[in-house]
Amino acid sequence: MKLADMIGTLRDNLKILKMAMIVYLAVLVVIDFFLSREHAHYLIDKIYAYWAVFGTVGCFLLIKFSKGVAHLFLAKDEDYYD
Amino acid sequence: MNSWLHPALFFFAGSLLLPFFQGKARKAILLLIPILAIIAVALAEQGIYGQYRFLNVNGVFGRVDKLSLIFAWVFTIMAFLGALYALHVKESGHHIAGFLYVGSSLGAIFAGDYFTLFIFWEIMAFSSVFLVWYQRTRKSLDAGFRYLLVHVFGGLLFFTGMMLYYGKTGSFAFNSIAPAGAGIAEYLILCGFALNAAVLPLHAWLPDAYPEATVEGAVFLCAFTTKTAVYVLARGFSGFEVLAIMGTAMTVFGVCYAVIENDIRRVLAYHIISQVGYMVAGIGIGTHLAVNGAAAHAFAHILYKALLFMGAGAVLYMTGTAKLTRLGGLYKTMPLTMIFYIVGAVSIAGFPLFSGFVSKSMIVSAAHQEGRLWLMNFLNLAGIGTFLSVGLKVTYFAFFGKGEPVQAKEPPANMLWAMGITSLLCFIIGVYPDVLYVLLPFATEYRPYNLPHLSEALQLLSFTGLVFFLLLSKLGPEEKINLDVDYFYRKGTALFLKFDEKVIGVGDTLWGELYRTLGLSALFKSAEASYGFDRKVIDGIVDGSATSTVGLGSVVRKLQTGRIQTYIGLSLMIFFLVVLFAVI
Repeated sequence: MKLADMIGTLRDNLKILKMAMIVYLAVLVVIDFFLSREHAHYLIDKIYAYWAVFGTVGCFLLIKFSKGVAHLFLAKDEDYYD
Repeated sequence: MNSWLHPALFFFAGSLLLPFFQGKARKAILLLIPILAIIAVALAEQGIYGQYRFLNVNGVFGRVDKLSLIFAWVFTIMAFLGALYALHVKESGHHIAGFLYVGSSLGAIFAGDYFTLFIFWEIMAFSSVFLVWYQRTRKSLDAGFRYLLVHVFGGLLFFTGMMLYYGKTGSFAFNSIAPAGAGIAEYLILCGFALNAAVLPLHAWLPDAYPEATVEGAVFLCAFTTKTAVYVLARGFSGFEVLAIMGTAMTVFGVCYAVIENDIRRVLAYHIISQVGYMVAGIGIGTHLAVNGAAAHAFAHILYKALLFMGAGAVLYMTGTAKLTRLGGLYKTMPLTMIFYIVGAVSIAGFPLFSGFVSKSMIVSAAHQEGRLWLMNFLNLAGIGTFLSVGLKVTYFAFFGKGEPVQAKEPPANMLWAMGITSLLCFIIGVYPDVLYVLLPFATEYRPYNLPHLSEALQLLSFTGLVFFLLLSKLGPEEKINLDVDYFYRKGTALFLKFDEKVIGVGDTLWGELYRTLGLSALFKSAEASYGFDRKVIDGIVDGSATSTVGLGSVVRKLQTGRIQTYIGLSLMIFFLVVLFAVI
């Protein structure tokens, strides 16, 4: 199984993988500073790295909110309706 | 009638043929029918076909234009992929239900008037429920009945609205409705449509029934009911502000549940609500770009959502469970399934080069263009949740994850082929969006691949990935189910039964006692009198007619074989005869 081996190798080298991902994220943000803002209509189009911040905060809030509500009252045992 | 051949006819004819074939011949029919239907769609020319007059109603079977054609394209392609995926299923009833379901969906999208639409609308509900029931578990039986009841309710809303509309306008013609002139009739129709599109709060039937369906049935279910509803909403109700708001709410609501659900098929079911939300929002925004986006997204969505359900179904089929808490490490044993699932996941998440990117971004751009920045931000928030739950959470906990890998094998070849072809289609649409854009209802200049767009998508998705790995310990799946609004009718019926037993039951017993002591003696007296009359006069007459009734009964008994496929086939044949007479 070639693919399984490749994934196994990646899992054994998680540190390198993590570094690569961090570099990738940094590059994404840096690139955004060089993009033209000529066609920007609204404020959110002009803010640098708006969607990076939005993604980070949004994802964090989404997880906290969903899991919070689930633990508060939504989650029930699987035989709840039986 | 002129030369147009309704693609639905192939599916209805196929469902009549299927019971008579076994083995290879049946497989050939299963694949051939969708191919013929695809050819019929390819050859279709725009126009109005199949007009008929029935009970003073002017009906239209075939309104062929760009909007109906794009849905017909994806429906017939999906029918082929679904049939390929379900090729190994032995029960012909399952295939028949699938064909009737596809056929009636095609009937619905080509219908030019409410009356014709309503008939196909109901056949859809009643044929699709069998795809749930064939799972043959207690849960699926119950879920199927709830599914049916909710859809009957939706059908009634639609029917009432349609009758009021007829009273108001004197016509059943199904055309675009202006938001300004809409009254109770139009809004009732809208509610009936919205129920099938799983618009909040009429959505609970979807995550209730789809995860209980058969592995193969779920692939059909996720494609047709909601997207037929998207079509009729796009046809009739584009520009309705309520749809823009509710659609956006659906997108976020769906992903919130997807984050906390444990069963993969439940995660995916909530994601249908989320994704259909994008389409509903696009229809609500109502500009050409937005409605184009809704149609394009329906097309792309049917393919990648089916692909995801195929992957989840393959896992369920091979391991016996789709619960994330019991899965893990499948990358070792089901690598192909994993690759196909991931293609579906990056497509739905809207990664560049895959289909979701070129369709979802049209709707987001339309919101942006109209200055609806709140909508745009919420739509992008839902995009984050999509990648988080379908892309990262499911992939990580099912195919990777810690602990011992689950023992499994790759699914049968036909399933792999179906997933492979669907993956290829998702990729082709992502790379050459023009193959999809030429089918759109309005001419478009839209180009998804530009730098700001790519930057927006990659930032959103990549930083979602970052937070996922930071909060991984908080995201572990739990062996729980989550309440939804179906709580009210599921617990509500139990409450009603209790009320029936405790209150109505007691009253009933009292009444029964009263009746027995007071009423019966009088009744006995009169019964004696009528008995005498009965024996002497009536018997003679009845005996004669009874003999003929017995004869008719034995004919009917032969038709009532108790086999579901015979019933479906028979009722369809009667339906066709009625239609045939009507047309002639």
